[in-house]
Amino acid sequence: MRIGLVCPYSVDVPGGVQFHVRDLAEKLLEFGDEVQVLAPADEETEVPEYVTSTGRALPVRYNGSVARLSFGPVVAARTQRWLEAGDFDVVHIHEPLPPSVGLIALHMAEAPVVATFHSAQTRSRALQVAYPLVRPGLERIRARIAVSEDARRTVVDHVGGDAVIIPNGVYTARFARARGSQEWIGTSERPTIAFLGRLDEPRKGLHVLAGAVGAVLERYPGARFLIAGRGDAAEARAHLGVYGDSVEFLGALEERDKAALLSSVDIYVAPQTGGESFGIVLVEAISAGALVVASDLPAFRRVLDGDEGGYLFRTGDAQHLAEVITTALSDPEGARTRREYATQVAQRYDWNVVAAQIRDVYTMVTDAEAVDSRPALSGVREWFGRKR
Amino acid sequence: MSAAEIVLLILAVLALVGVVLWSVAQRLDRLHRREFQTRAVLEAQLVRRADIAAEVAADGLLDPASAVLVADAALGSMRAARIVGDDDSAQARAERGLVESELTRTLRTALDETDPGLPPRSPEAAEAIDRLRHSHDRVQLARRFHNDAVVQIHHIRRLTLVRLFRLAGRAALPRTFEMDDAPV
Repeated sequence: MRIGLVCPYSVDVPGGVQFHVRDLAEKLLEFGDEVQVLAPADEETEVPEYVTSTGRALPVRYNGSVARLSFGPVVAARTQRWLEAGDFDVVHIHEPLPPSVGLIALHMAEAPVVATFHSAQTRSRALQVAYPLVRPGLERIRARIAVSEDARRTVVDHVGGDAVIIPNGVYTARFARARGSQEWIGTSERPTIAFLGRLDEPRKGLHVLAGAVGAVLERYPGARFLIAGRGDAAEARAHLGVYGDSVEFLGALEERDKAALLSSVDIYVAPQTGGESFGIVLVEAISAGALVVASDLPAFRRVLDGDEGGYLFRTGDAQHLAEVITTALSDPEGARTRREYATQVAQRYDWNVVAAQIRDVYTMVTDAEAVDSRPALSGVREWFGRKR
Repeated sequence: MSAAEIVLLILAVLALVGVVLWSVAQRLDRLHRREFQTRAVLEAQLVRRADIAAEVAADGLLDPASAVLVADAALGSMRAARIVGDDDSAQARAERGLVESELTRTLRTALDETDPGLPPRSPEAAEAIDRLRHSHDRVQLARRFHNDAVVQIHHIRRLTLVRLFRLAGRAALPRTFEMDDAPV
């Protein structure tokens, strides 16, 4: 199958949508499909062979935040050329709503279009004004995919109609294969507890974990807290400094080290306070075999199947987090069954499974395209004929 | 304003109205085609699922009681009125939905693997049952996409403009297809 993937965000910057498109492209290539990706990228950036750049994406203030978007006549012309040269069976557009390459491709594509909605978005004022222009394009989407229940709700509320839920994929094997690193593996005397995520982003919840450290150390004086992630955390460091060696800052980790950390530690804590439409970090953690203690967010609850695949605590409640961590540390049997359950759950999110589901959607759409639609015309066309 | 100008203005307005009507009619036309196409795909996927179910039942991959019931439900699906071409009445459509839901429910029980004490299936059986589950998942996708097309048509056909100018012509108002397609 010839598949064209469109990514609206610049591949120069890391981001969930970009990673998703890259991973999907590589998995489909592995399945033996012909895949091309259209995405904004700086001219100097090295991109994989299958990526066609629409040029640099500009930071634009849109919908209350600054997004790097790609638009204008040059981009439109490049999109047109890419579509013509690709002669695709299916064009799969990711995030068709932001005013970028996706929206342009949606209008130009003659091949059947599949669209994936990644984020829960509020409908912008601009989009409401331009809706009559956008709507015919949206109507052209044959199949809509939402990566999570929240993203699906966005489709239902703002676009109308429904979407099938196919989650984000994770190369679970990469995490499952990861070997633990001696320096991070805990002992019963000195259990290890990890945090991963931007340190200076309040939504990632480092402050919640910070609030729980003291109470955990009372019960487990040897516990080690390993804090990994980018960002300036002067405040967190100052706050956590009082615990001395019990808290170690690891800085930003590479993918490989991240997997190693997750498979080494006794507990991975996900104290996010919101803004997670899909708990991909959690899927990575359970793929690596980590025991998860997570906030009680709907997205996390769904990944963990309630608390069958891990422990949940009241979102934002540091005291409760401390209690749950000590429970998890003192209950090896419960921890083991949860770990095992979670390993099973992780398989649902493996790219092999997820990409096969997406490919099924493509097949549905191309099958429909192949159906002779003349019998459907008796009504509408007849009237057309009479008018002419 | 001279008479010529007035005539020109009227012509311009008429042309504009014409373009708007034409574009709405185009959209409607496209959606009706899609509704038909997605219905044909749904029909094909339903037939495929019944085929595979009958095959699994005949190959002795299930216990005897399940085999008889799955075969019966699959045959019921094969005998029911098609949703493309055959009798297109609301009643025929509803009956087909009931028949397909019956097959879904039978499969759900026949393929139930939740008891941890179950012996493992042979590789051939596991493969066949995976194929059956997969065909069920595709029915679910096909139905979702079909119903989506139907809902969009309903949406447009509710517009006053469409009703006033009878832009839908004599095309029948399509119906969603209702059945139990929750995972088995």
